[in-house]
Amino acid sequence: MTMTLPSEFLPDAPVVAPDVTLTSLSEQVSSRVLMDRAPLWWWIGFAISSALFTVLIIQMGWLFIGGIGVWGVNIPVAWGLAIAEYVWWIALASGGTIVSALFFLTRSPWRSATNRIAESMLLSAAPCAGLMPIMHLGRPGLFYWLFPYSNVMGVWPQVRSPLWWDFICLICYILMSIMYYYAGILPDLATVRDLAKSRFKQIFYGILALGWRGSSEEWRNQRIVYAIMSAIMAPMVVSVHSVVGLDFAGGLTPGWHDTQFPPYFFFGAVISGSAVIMMLTIMVRWGYDLHDVLTGYHFNALAKVMLVGSVMLGYAYVWEAFGPIYGSDVAERTEFFQRIFGFTAPLFWSEKILTIVIPQLLWLPLVRRNQLLLFLISGGIIVGMWQERVMFTTASLEHNYMPSRWGVFFPTLWDWAALAGTIGLFLTLFFLFLRFAPIVSIAEVREVVEAERSK
Amino acid sequence: MKDLFGVVAVFDTAEAVKNAAARLRQQGYRSFEAYTPYPIEGLDRIMHPRPQRLLPGLMFAGAVLGAAWGYWIQYWDEALNYPLNVGGRPYNSWPAFTVGTFEFMLLVAVAAGFFGMLAVSRLPKLYHPVFEARAFVRASRDRFVICIEASDPRFDASAVRREFEQLGAEQIEEVRA
Repeated sequence: MTMTLPSEFLPDAPVVAPDVTLTSLSEQVSSRVLMDRAPLWWWIGFAISSALFTVLIIQMGWLFIGGIGVWGVNIPVAWGLAIAEYVWWIALASGGTIVSALFFLTRSPWRSATNRIAESMLLSAAPCAGLMPIMHLGRPGLFYWLFPYSNVMGVWPQVRSPLWWDFICLICYILMSIMYYYAGILPDLATVRDLAKSRFKQIFYGILALGWRGSSEEWRNQRIVYAIMSAIMAPMVVSVHSVVGLDFAGGLTPGWHDTQFPPYFFFGAVISGSAVIMMLTIMVRWGYDLHDVLTGYHFNALAKVMLVGSVMLGYAYVWEAFGPIYGSDVAERTEFFQRIFGFTAPLFWSEKILTIVIPQLLWLPLVRRNQLLLFLISGGIIVGMWQERVMFTTASLEHNYMPSRWGVFFPTLWDWAALAGTIGLFLTLFFLFLRFAPIVSIAEVREVVEAERSK
Repeated sequence: MKDLFGVVAVFDTAEAVKNAAARLRQQGYRSFEAYTPYPIEGLDRIMHPRPQRLLPGLMFAGAVLGAAWGYWIQYWDEALNYPLNVGGRPYNSWPAFTVGTFEFMLLVAVAAGFFGMLAVSRLPKLYHPVFEARAFVRASRDRFVICIEASDPRFDASAVRREFEQLGAEQIEEVRA
């Protein structure tokens, strides 16, 4: 006898509500872009976001005048919140590509309605990630020296360094993500163009849609390229976050110098990325009243991705502990025990609870259907991953090989301003995406609607 | 009066437009195009029986070119122009160049695909005569449109109209541009 849990989704459960038709879908999603006045919650959210963004501008101004000493970084802890948050932001961004590219390749029907949210999130988070290391430079204006270009100084970057790889990965990742996003949104921009009433919007979206007509030839070309792009983006995002792991693994510091970090970082990207997509999907669903299009099916699927991420991350944590305890390196072991019982212990243990213990609730179908619980769990995961990156970055430097060089890191007000400011930048960009671009991939959901109709 | 561009028929299901396209092709029409709100399985093979090999080839060429470019930049930098001796390692230390090579490879492949897709589809093209059809706006929403162009050697407005009627078109319209 097989046991079925009463609230588990059936394999053939509808992805979108049965009353969604091609007509209602296009009109519903496009009207969120075309409405003359944004709803009140949009203005409130946008105002808060821009206020936080202003904090970033002020913070950057003060940072560039005073130098990075305005932050809590010191010697020995030369990498503080900025680097940890760089990793955090790029992990959130990577999650967007994982959901959008990887699950395109598996032809998962739930990906169709969430991929645009994921990609908008990624394009909003990537600039935040990119800003962090630039702000962390002693002379931020010269960051472009990292790019291998022919210059009159005759100076070239040192390309054998993971830090340079990281720079190249990030640049390539952002450029590729923009092209991937645009290749996918082109048909939807044409839908918005054709539904627009005012002349200005018709011209604006007409130019953005590049004259897309939806001819069978255009569709064929778009599909071929989009599929190959997805097959490229999926390994690309693994490489991006693995190289972030190499930044640390390449350093001869106890706690960092470990071959497992490329996958370890990638697992973190899976869980934190899907968590932020979950939160945004819930908010978009309620804010834009897209209950028919973003259904329990999507939350169920995203929650499972999050759960898998959590289990994978737990596995990586086991090996992170096993290495120092089983190995014979005294410095590794000392650093590890300092990390779990010393100054960073509160961060360490609360993070494990938030990212490993609590997400185990997602095994229960009941929890995967409860949006409030999902929202809280996702929020906990994002906070937990922030703690993990901060603890990971600073704890190792606090307890390097020489005990006489041990120290502590404590963030200053300006560290917090950088965090708040990049959150502001992220939300500002995301609110703009929400207002000016279709937030659900209309063309792809149409296929889901038609597939369900013929079922 | 403006020139006749073609005759447009509107269908309300994907099946109908696929049948119509197959039928028109059988009858020997060549200059016609289907405009649909989403890609329809099998329609592209009816419309364009020859497989599209150019774009995958272009992306592959982009990947090869990107990899060569990425490796060359690093080789030129580390071995030719600005050799740095790092712990006695070879100047052409290829394992350290793989990441940069990989990223450039993927970047150029994706760029080749993106711009290749636009070029092969002849986009951007902000104006097309078929936009003049009143029914056309719904092709990006919930209707399936076929347009037989007047440039087709077999084109005859009244015959085409009759053909569309037989195929069960919801609406038929002459497009002048």
